[in-house]
Amino acid sequence: MGQRRRTFFFTVALATLLTLLITSTATLFTNAQTTDDLIAKKISRLQAKAAKTKGVIELDSLAFEDVLAQPRNYSMVILFTAISPEFQCAPCKNFDPEYRLVAAGWSKIPDKSQIFFGILDFKAGQSIFQKFNMNSAPSLLYFPATDSSASSPSFDRYDFGKSGFQAEPFANWVNARSGLHIKVQRPFDFVAFALKVMGVTGALGLAHFLYSRGGKVIRSRYLWVAVSLFLIFIFISGHMWNQIRHPPYSMPSRDGRPGFIAAGFQNQFGLETQIVSILYAVLCGGAISLMSSIPRIDSPPRQRLAVIVWVAVITVMYSILLLFFRAKNPSYPYRLLF
Amino acid sequence: MSTESPSTIAKVLKPTILILIAIVAISSRLFSIIRFESVIHEFDPWFNYRTTQHLVKNGFYDFWNWFDEKSWYPLGRVVGGTVYPGIMVTSALIHNVLHFFNFPVDIRNVCVFLAPMFSGLTAFSAYLLTKELKDSSAGLLAAAFLGVAPGYISRSVAGSYDNEGIAIFLLVFTFYLWIKAVKTGSAFFGLLTALFYFYMVSAWGGYVFITNLVPLHAFTLLLMGRFSNRLYVSYSTFYAVGTLLSMQIPFVGFQPTRTSEHMAALGVFGLLQLYAFAELIRGYIPPKQFQTLLKGGIAAVAIIAAVGLTILSFSGVIAPFTGRFYSLYDTGYAKIHIPIIASVSEHQPTAWTSFFFDLQMLIFLFPAGVYLCFKELKDEHVFIILYSVFASYFAGVMVRLMLTLTPVVCVSAAIAYSTLLDTYLETSKHVLAVTSPDATAIAAPVDVTPEVKPAGNGAGTGSKKAAAKAAAAAAAAAKTPAKSADTDAKAQAKAAAAASGKKRYPIFNFDSRALVVLQLTWFLFMFAWHCTYVTSGSYSSPSIVLASRQQDGSQMIIDDFREAYYWLRKNTKEDAKVMSWWDYGYQMAGMANVTTLVDNNTWNNTHIATVGKAMSTSEEVSYKVLRQHDVDYVLILFGGVIGYSGDDINKFLWMIRIAEGVYPNDVKEANFFTPRGEYKVDHDATKTMKESLMYKMSYYRFAELYGGGNAVDHVRSARMPAEGPTLSVLEEAYTTENWLVRIYKVKDLDILGRDLKDSTAFDKGKVRKVSSLKRK
Repeated sequence: MGQRRRTFFFTVALATLLTLLITSTATLFTNAQTTDDLIAKKISRLQAKAAKTKGVIELDSLAFEDVLAQPRNYSMVILFTAISPEFQCAPCKNFDPEYRLVAAGWSKIPDKSQIFFGILDFKAGQSIFQKFNMNSAPSLLYFPATDSSASSPSFDRYDFGKSGFQAEPFANWVNARSGLHIKVQRPFDFVAFALKVMGVTGALGLAHFLYSRGGKVIRSRYLWVAVSLFLIFIFISGHMWNQIRHPPYSMPSRDGRPGFIAAGFQNQFGLETQIVSILYAVLCGGAISLMSSIPRIDSPPRQRLAVIVWVAVITVMYSILLLFFRAKNPSYPYRLLF
Repeated sequence: MSTESPSTIAKVLKPTILILIAIVAISSRLFSIIRFESVIHEFDPWFNYRTTQHLVKNGFYDFWNWFDEKSWYPLGRVVGGTVYPGIMVTSALIHNVLHFFNFPVDIRNVCVFLAPMFSGLTAFSAYLLTKELKDSSAGLLAAAFLGVAPGYISRSVAGSYDNEGIAIFLLVFTFYLWIKAVKTGSAFFGLLTALFYFYMVSAWGGYVFITNLVPLHAFTLLLMGRFSNRLYVSYSTFYAVGTLLSMQIPFVGFQPTRTSEHMAALGVFGLLQLYAFAELIRGYIPPKQFQTLLKGGIAAVAIIAAVGLTILSFSGVIAPFTGRFYSLYDTGYAKIHIPIIASVSEHQPTAWTSFFFDLQMLIFLFPAGVYLCFKELKDEHVFIILYSVFASYFAGVMVRLMLTLTPVVCVSAAIAYSTLLDTYLETSKHVLAVTSPDATAIAAPVDVTPEVKPAGNGAGTGSKKAAAKAAAAAAAAAKTPAKSADTDAKAQAKAAAAASGKKRYPIFNFDSRALVVLQLTWFLFMFAWHCTYVTSGSYSSPSIVLASRQQDGSQMIIDDFREAYYWLRKNTKEDAKVMSWWDYGYQMAGMANVTTLVDNNTWNNTHIATVGKAMSTSEEVSYKVLRQHDVDYVLILFGGVIGYSGDDINKFLWMIRIAEGVYPNDVKEANFFTPRGEYKVDHDATKTMKESLMYKMSYYRFAELYGGGNAVDHVRSARMPAEGPTLSVLEEAYTTENWLVRIYKVKDLDILGRDLKDSTAFDKGKVRKVSSLKRK
């Protein structure tokens, strides 16, 4: 009897233990499931959001913390921008469509759970800007997928200075980091196409016109003089530099320095080069009139007056040019009038 | 245009002036020699100098087959096949001729004075060229301008022993010969053009400019309907002989038949043949049949050419544009694709200040000269116009190409200047009669001829206004006659207007003449001052010897480079391999006679990137690279002590960028910037920056110089941490007087097989390692 009771007791104990074991594993299992669930939920939420707005998720401070919070097994690309007009951030506005173009490529990749594109505007996420010590916009950060629960997630910064504001290099940059193949598909630009068509038709029309006129226009010496001199003037006043370096047109003037003159000998603004080319054109025009127009004037007093006027114009303009040059190179010692 | 004065004085004056111009041109290039000493400047000239020495010592055939194992270690370089040998052969020839006549001139002096000597010749060829375009007085002005223009001096001061020194002479002289050939249509001048073109090809990569400009000229003349047998003979001679000759230079080889740069010349050659053939056929066939034949022929040729070109370029026989050349057309290309090209300062675009700095008043007289060329518009003027426009474009894209622009600016400005002088100095009756064919016009001002003249007389006299009036009156009077008479009168009036448009009067008043001439003279003075100022101040520093002013105004010579190179020469074993950034490769090979890893001939981007990687990674990573390449010493430039801004820390970003292009996993540019996006070397420097070999080498023991406190980097005006970086895989071998050059020796592997970091720590007597061992 005692033997039996004991056996029963053991059985019960064993059963209890077993149950305990099973329940505990089950709890453990459900716990694991909740983490996966959490991520899956987050991903599906983000996917829904992104699908609605063509791949871009608009964030604010709270949403920002949320998408980057652990657990997280996807990468985030986040554009810190200041698009509102009061910030006058021209590059932000320029880059915005390019960014959205890349984000639009997101909806075409097969696995949409690996990466998301977010935009955080300064207005909506001031605190985040402060947290990341961000004092210029736009900034573009890439947060790789991670399991670590460090308070500040690691990230890569996109270098606008080096790679520029175009969508293609940015897409390459993202692809290199994420291992995905996001493609940039520019929407068909009807305006550009129409302009091109018009340009081609115009050129054809012009060619036909010139041809039908027996080449009178194309053989016109004045046309070629004008074209050649115009090209020479813009080249010698640093136009190609502007083409390559894209300097600002002009800047607000600061501490007595006029705004259209860039500081530094090897630096220039758009307006500055235009002024220089006009100075060159006037000086050259002066020389041409001195040798071509003035000998055509047949009355001595009028000729004398014209000579005096042109000599004065050339002298003044040359003085201005030298003044201009001294502003760029303060140690330059020569001057004419002032 | 004024006529030549036949007087004997002019005959004596012209050569005298030319000789004086040559003397001025040569002597204005001697600033650096007089101030410092007779040394070779810069970087590239050191390679040229080294190869010239080799040529003089070992003879031409040995030079031609020279394999230089001392550069690009461990790859080496086939020198004979990868250089433009023109400059070396020229100076060796001069050297040998002088020695033949028993003038024992050192080859170094030949090299140092080569560029100034050739500048005298360049001035002379500018004279010849301009004489073909206008007259000898304009020629003299052009010679004077080109002799002293800073745009040319910048690359031809004494000691700058570089290809451009002789290439600009060859450029101008080849153009002169070409114009002469087109003018005379003689195969002799065409042949001479080809010979000098060959000389140019052997001297400078810029020969491509001639290869494209001359065909462009021929093509433009063809488009203008100016095909002539003169053009045909001169171009065919030039192209056939010139191309065959240019292919004899090993470095050029088969490029003239393959690369796109040379295709224009070939295309125009073919076009001229076809055109000439068509002209020949035209003489034998009735016009109507000829039209049909022409149309069919054009279509056939176009189809064959298009198909042929497509096949050739797809099969890879025709190479695409080379990077350097391509960057001239697509200006954004280099920035994205080839950082090594973008990093070179002479490949940068030209700001307007550089144009003015290099050409001063010539820059605005230059378009006026182009305008005058348009007025004349003979075949040779078309050439100058084309040259002006294209050279302006290229000079705008790349600072270095100011050199090709300068000659045409001088020629063109000289034409403008001398036309001005002609207009305001001419007094002789003879010329007055020429410039204004109608002497009566002077005495007949416009307002005095109100009365109606017969339309027939109006064509001869009268001003434009009077002629128009006369024509109108004639038309009014002849209302009743037939319509044909009316049109006749109109035509005559038109002729009258045209004649009066060309009419020129002399300058009547002495004071207006004096005013303009004085102004021009004053500008000329200012130009001369400007040129002297620029040459002396900016273009005459040898860059291997630096001069600075001390506080009391006395000059201090900083000779650290030569000090360091001399140390290397005397204290290292003969086959020592020294790693440095590529800028100093040629100088090290030339002056220190050591083996270098990379040098200024930047043909191998990967190898350069490897050096960049060694400089920009941590000691552990870098040590592997150093060992793999057998590096014995590492040489860097550090300007922080004396404030020399061209040092390696300032070039460091380019090293990182180039290295990142090849090793994106090892080097990341972003890691060298602080979170605020700044490039810092002080306390705020990033961890990657502080751990990079370059940073460590630069600031190693830097703080000690300041006695432990307030170490300041004078270039970046940064306050450095009191405790500097430590080095474990390198040891300091030599640091020059002003700390400008620092040389480090790469440590051998530890004899006990320890990590070098540990062994260094052990040598410093740190017991931490021992205690950690105990704990184990």
